[in-house]
Amino acid sequence: MSETSYSVLGVFATPDALMAAIPKARAAKLGTVEAYTPYPIHGIDDALGLRRSPLGGMVLVMGILGAVTAFGFQYWISAIDYPIITGGKPPDSWEAFIPIMFEVTVLFATFTAGLGMLLLLNKLPFFGHPVLSSKAITGITRDRYVLAIEAEHQGFDSAAAAKTLKEAGAIDVEVLPAPDRSPFLTSDFILRTLGGIFVACLVAGLTMFFATKWFPLLRPMANMQDQPRLNAQKPSAFFKDGHGMQRPVAGTVARGHLPTATGTQEAAATLVNPLPRTKEMFAVGRKAYLNRCEVCHGVVGNGQGSLTAAYGAKPANLQAQQFRDYPDGKIYWAIVNGKNAMPAHAADLTETQRWAVVHYVRALQRAQNAKDEDLKVVAP
Amino acid sequence: MQAEVNALRGAIPQGLLEPPLTVGTVTPGSLDDQVLAFPETLPPKQWYIGLAITLTALVIGFSFIGYTIATGIGVWGNNSPVFWAFDIINFVFWVGIGHAGTLISAILFLFRKRWRNAIARFAEAMTIFAVICAVIFPLIHVGRPWLAYWLFPYPNQRALWTNFRSPLLWDVFAVNTYFSVSLMFWYLGLIPDIASMRDRTTSKVRKVIYTVLALGWRGAARHWQHYEKAYLLLAGLATGLVLSVHSVVSFDFATSVVPGWHMTIFPPYFVAGAIFAGFAMVVMVLVVVRETMQLQNLITTRHLDVMNKVILSMSCIMGYSYMMEGFTAWYSMNEFLHHGFMNIISGSYGWAGWLTIFCNILFPQILWFKKARTSYFWMILVAIGVTIGMWFERFVIIVISLHQDYLPSAWRLYKPTMVDFGILLGTFGIFFTLVLIFARVLPVIATTEVKAILPEAQPSHHGEDHHV
Repeated sequence: MSETSYSVLGVFATPDALMAAIPKARAAKLGTVEAYTPYPIHGIDDALGLRRSPLGGMVLVMGILGAVTAFGFQYWISAIDYPIITGGKPPDSWEAFIPIMFEVTVLFATFTAGLGMLLLLNKLPFFGHPVLSSKAITGITRDRYVLAIEAEHQGFDSAAAAKTLKEAGAIDVEVLPAPDRSPFLTSDFILRTLGGIFVACLVAGLTMFFATKWFPLLRPMANMQDQPRLNAQKPSAFFKDGHGMQRPVAGTVARGHLPTATGTQEAAATLVNPLPRTKEMFAVGRKAYLNRCEVCHGVVGNGQGSLTAAYGAKPANLQAQQFRDYPDGKIYWAIVNGKNAMPAHAADLTETQRWAVVHYVRALQRAQNAKDEDLKVVAP
Repeated sequence: MQAEVNALRGAIPQGLLEPPLTVGTVTPGSLDDQVLAFPETLPPKQWYIGLAITLTALVIGFSFIGYTIATGIGVWGNNSPVFWAFDIINFVFWVGIGHAGTLISAILFLFRKRWRNAIARFAEAMTIFAVICAVIFPLIHVGRPWLAYWLFPYPNQRALWTNFRSPLLWDVFAVNTYFSVSLMFWYLGLIPDIASMRDRTTSKVRKVIYTVLALGWRGAARHWQHYEKAYLLLAGLATGLVLSVHSVVSFDFATSVVPGWHMTIFPPYFVAGAIFAGFAMVVMVLVVVRETMQLQNLITTRHLDVMNKVILSMSCIMGYSYMMEGFTAWYSMNEFLHHGFMNIISGSYGWAGWLTIFCNILFPQILWFKKARTSYFWMILVAIGVTIGMWFERFVIIVISLHQDYLPSAWRLYKPTMVDFGILLGTFGIFFTLVLIFARVLPVIATTEVKAILPEAQPSHHGEDHHV
């Protein structure tokens, strides 16, 4: 009996009897003295010599942690990761974070108070405790007050403990055997499981974070990451002809400009360039020429453009006598309507730009075929 | 001990002594036999009739909720400019009902009001059920409830975060915290009681259920020490929480610029209103429970008297708040505020304003008479009046303020639809179904807490006023 017994319970009928028995049981020094009561008895902590509950400190620490977590989380989101201005407040306006800080503080603190009390301090759930299978338990949770002397080591003398309790006034004494099987689902098990889940989440989260950083191809659900787009000078799959953008339909004119001169090139010969021959106009014409014409007709208009060789095209040599003899109107007509392989530029150039290009082409022709008098004009 | 008490009774005038907390002879054992017997016996016929009624309401409510979700919230009466109506009214109403439970279990615990022990359990349960009813409304008002988790700030692929400057997000945190803390508080209180049920039941199935729920509670002194500390801490935290939750709910309105909402009095005004409505509901339910379950010896006439006093004092605070609303409107010389206040007493919804004033301010004044405070007829009449009045108070605040704001061309009268009423009825069904089930499944009175305040419950060298 003595080796395997776990504890001895003495049952008392009133709280007074229980309180009177505690000093006697403790004085016997046979083992740990514990009381089991249906409700908290005041003054029993001191009588049993229990230390103060550390729960208050735990709750304080976790409450502060809750406040700091809530503030840090909100600050990081609102001011750093996703700084959107709402209600005209600066992204780091911390005053708005206070309500949620308070709620999270309370949340952390209450869960620490509740679960910390159950799981950490009281080690509950614990279904295998010998007292739970004792005869006295129906009284403990009803109206009986039980004092237990619990074994601290192998040499526990249960007979002496029973005698002590009887002498202290117990109306009934019960010797509890040690539990014959290990309890299941203890608080330790639950805490370890929760800890395991927490660590697993942490590991999984960190793994995914670094995995996606180091191996971007592994990024999960990259639905919108690879989008079709247009690259300069590259064919595109947007349309059948390989162009990224489609040409404007025939007859398209730039917005807000005069309609294109119609009729034949011969008919257009009578048109007169309306622009003055000023420095500014030549600059406009030069810019438009370099953007639109130079690739084929060349910098000086000799038909040796930067892309001529690559495509094997034969653009007109504007320095040829035929084109030097053209009236302005016929050049204008060619720019607007295109000629042979040359596309129409009506949609690309404004009316001013077209005539400015005509001026510029005239300037190029004259520059390449300068006469002696021209030098005199240039001299200041 | 009795001699000591008698000596004290001689010294202290009769009126100042705390009256007994229970009637007749109540011992720890008889208490268990009385309260814990309910879950072990089959309920009476009236219980099934009650359950049939509440379940019908519940089914109606769920059908309308299903219809809303399947069709869209266009089936409600909400429309420009009254975008918030029944959904928010009902949400604020139900969250408010819950506040009485937390007040009784937490604030009165801190104030060492020992009479609270007998009614705390039921009030806490009502808190949880009321919050369940409350969260239904924002959940279905988002239109796509299956995406409601977007309300939480969680890392997502869209790289979006919630807006922490929005009071609606504060609400999400406040209500979730409130629900989890209330549940924790309630469950911790239940553990020793479930342990009692575990050790007295003869049914094998019940034994297994109670064993699991009681977590192996064995009443050790070392456990009680931590337990009491935890309970005290939870009470302190819940006290702050209960004040914050309805304040945050009021921020939904007070931080906006709508005339009639943008007022600094809103947080305390809402908290007082919540406690007011909650106590009315507790009185109503407790009177029925007390009579049908024969708990007159534990829920005494004094309990009802004291609760009615709380209702009366809250009614006075509400009266002050209403007057302040009028005063603010007048003193601000702001024509919008003035117009909003005149709408309450003389506009198209003026009847709702006067109904609110009558039910919340005028009629409860009858509770100044002790006869009314202890008469079932009057207290139930007042409680029903307060419940209706507090619902209409939210109607007044929300609908009247919204239906005529700064833009006269947008003014329009609001009319609820059948679906609005159906869902409101449904939440009453949910609430009372849960109350009925709770009353027969778990101990309706916190037996452990009542045992601790019975005469002779504590060692004689500790005075009886030393503890809770």
